[in-house]
Amino acid sequence: MNYLSLVMIEFKKIKSSKVLYIFLIATVILWIPSISNVHLNFTMENQGISPENNFFIQGFMGMSWFMFPASMVVGTVLVTQTERANKGILKMLTLPIGRAKLCLAKFIVLLTLGAIKIFMAACAYYMSAALCSATQNYNFILPPFFVAKEIILLFLSSIPMIAFFWALSVCIQVPLFSVGIGFASIVPSVFIINTKVWFAYPMSYPFFLITSEYGKLAKNLNTSQAEPIPFIPTAIFITVLCIAISCLCFGQDERR
Amino acid sequence: MKSIFLEWKKIRRTGFFPLFLGGGIVAGAVPIIHMAVRSKVYLIEQTPPIPFLFYENWQMMAMVNMLLVVTGSSLLYHLEYDHYAMEKWKSLPMRESSIFFGKVILTISMSTLPLGMEAGAIAFCSYHWFEVGSSLLKELWKSFAYAFLLMIPCILLSLLLSEACKNMWVSLGIGVICLFTATMLPTNNFLLSLFPFATNFQMAASMDRTKIIYYIYGSALESLILVLAEFLLIKVRRSFT
Repeated sequence: MNYLSLVMIEFKKIKSSKVLYIFLIATVILWIPSISNVHLNFTMENQGISPENNFFIQGFMGMSWFMFPASMVVGTVLVTQTERANKGILKMLTLPIGRAKLCLAKFIVLLTLGAIKIFMAACAYYMSAALCSATQNYNFILPPFFVAKEIILLFLSSIPMIAFFWALSVCIQVPLFSVGIGFASIVPSVFIINTKVWFAYPMSYPFFLITSEYGKLAKNLNTSQAEPIPFIPTAIFITVLCIAISCLCFGQDERR
Repeated sequence: MKSIFLEWKKIRRTGFFPLFLGGGIVAGAVPIIHMAVRSKVYLIEQTPPIPFLFYENWQMMAMVNMLLVVTGSSLLYHLEYDHYAMEKWKSLPMRESSIFFGKVILTISMSTLPLGMEAGAIAFCSYHWFEVGSSLLKELWKSFAYAFLLMIPCILLSLLLSEACKNMWVSLGIGVICLFTATMLPTNNFLLSLFPFATNFQMAASMDRTKIIYYIYGSALESLILVLAEFLLIKVRRSFT
């Protein structure tokens, strides 16, 4: 079985899960306050940020702080629990497929869920920006190239975090602990982005990068910027470590 | 009473108790770390310690509490739906609602653990950094009793959601969305802040007496509605299965 068909099978498994509806509700809820408080975007002269940039960045900051990481924790539960219920995983493990290959296929599914979530947020942003432009007689729509750059950055920065959550859910068999630790690790990211060691904490990457983008867009704000070193090597190290650990642990418990 | 005892037995090997204990430690660590790192900045401002500590830390602590409730309640029903245990319960000569109330009482009593640890952490901070001790006990007690009362509708709602959704991840997902919505709701709008997850962000320490009483009445009313919703859920589900 080639790798692509393995990934496609994994997608089939979660097809009836209605996860996209949950993502959709979350995305709609994310943009409602931005639409209802759109007039506040015109009062940001002190920060030196234009209303359209503020509208965009505030929405994405709200998402990257809590909603996006928490959705990913829920996503790990979805991917692991659908297999563990009724011992589906045992049947998968009897097939002549490498455990690591299976684990990586599931991880790709999780990454795709993350990408879909971000893409949905971007689509919802364009819809709400168009709506606000019509109601406020002011153009809130940003060029697609800029938005695409930001969402790609957000996605790339979230890969180490998703890898960490995935490693948690694979290594810790009790779903409660993996979810609990995952959720608990999101909460302190607000603290950690203000410290110098933020780059060692993958859960703070998306929020840190969006906050630093905010600093770039707002002329009068000085937010700390990501230095490529030590950020990129640490992020790659954490990702590789988490994926390696999850590949090693995958199916270990069922084999006993 | 018997159903509470049974519920306690069921959770023994699930990690429910260590989860609440760990959550309590994390939430309790929030004010202590915050003060340890930034006490020099804070101590210049001459403010009464408890309202100040709540103002700086409560949002995060309340969030940990609610995440605990959402995760814990999802697990309590996951136990029942996994391997069809719920069907066996339904065949026993007992009321179906007693399972729900057993779980409610268990979660409510378990939530006192993180709340107690958080109260301990706040007391420690006010004693250690603000050098005020026993005189604050009454205020502390009042604040946490209030937080506890406002948590009850949140517990009822998350258990109701977990009962309604057979898949653990669906109830977790909806719980997370509810919590996220709560963080976006304005805290100064009374009606909106009565949303079960949003009430937990309210702090008794910086509120006047009438408002506190309004919130307590509000959450009591919500709890009553949620209990009725539970009976309704059982009736509706039975007529469709």
